Amino acid sequence: MEEIKFVVKLAGVPIGVAALYGSTRQFCREYLTKETPVFSVCITAGDIALERQKADSVNCYSDAYLETLALYRKIAAGLLEYDTLLFHGSVVAVDGSAYLFTAKSGTGKSTHTRLWRELFGSRAVMVNDDKPLLKVTKDGAVAYGTPWNGKHRLSTNVAVLLKAVCILERDESTHIAPVAAREAWPVLMQQSIRPSDPVKLKQVMCLIDGLSANVKLYRMGCNMDLSAAKIAYEGMQ
Amino acid sequence: MRLKKGFITHESEGEQILVSSDTKAFSGLVRSNSTAAFIVNQLKSDTTIGQIVDAMAMEYDAPRDVMEKDVAKIVDQLVSIGALEGEVR
Repeated sequence: MEEIKFVVKLAGVPIGVAALYGSTRQFCREYLTKETPVFSVCITAGDIALERQKADSVNCYSDAYLETLALYRKIAAGLLEYDTLLFHGSVVAVDGSAYLFTAKSGTGKSTHTRLWRELFGSRAVMVNDDKPLLKVTKDGAVAYGTPWNGKHRLSTNVAVLLKAVCILERDESTHIAPVAAREAWPVLMQQSIRPSDPVKLKQVMCLIDGLSANVKLYRMGCNMDLSAAKIAYEGMQ
Repeated sequence: MRLKKGFITHESEGEQILVSSDTKAFSGLVRSNSTAAFIVNQLKSDTTIGQIVDAMAMEYDAPRDVMEKDVAKIVDQLVSIGALEGEVR
């Protein structure tokens, strides 16, 4: 099989990719660059087989799809060197500030950020609906769009300063309150990439320390009324 | 006995956090104060309850039977989450 080679720019970092499927290049099309890569990753048939093992056994995924998962896993491991964390959540930006909603799958992250788009119209930009990259610095964090953006394929190739991380839970009424870093830490860990390499896992935990110390954290119980978006937005100002 | 490969500790705000690199093995997180962290750190190489208590006696001024109970408790907790390998003794 002929290798498909391209350079993708994610979280400001040009990364060389050698893939097996042309569809993977197409998947990354909005993030391609002609810049010189600072590191490179190569996907093998073995990586795809490993991804199949990790995936749930209910669905039958194509090798081409599994290659995109394997690619993101490798890229995310490499980006830890650049203080950049792959995180599970839906990020929406309003007036140039990004808000990240995180929760277990099925809680309603995407539903909630859809309410933000209804409320704010064109003021709301979807940074990434599923797996954003977060560059963590001592001054805060920046959220980046990526092609890995969830089943509704919502993302924008932008970098937006992260104003808040909100842990979302379903409730009958909507309420939001700040949460301490120590309390949020286990959830942030749960929602971050979990490398099998101990050194990289340590890097993830250091980035979570930085994220929880430098970004405002909230916990929200919410229903699916449009008012939930307004209460969330106002609660995080 | 010793901590299984893949169980990683991290110091955060004066506490030790223990996680597993394999969430299928253990998806949670254990927070330890300084005494418990001392015990966890001893388990990073092959050891026994008696050897851990010996190491604690060099560090802490406490009766041996109290330390033995502390070590047994932490070891029990680590066994319950599947974090130890080898013979528990």
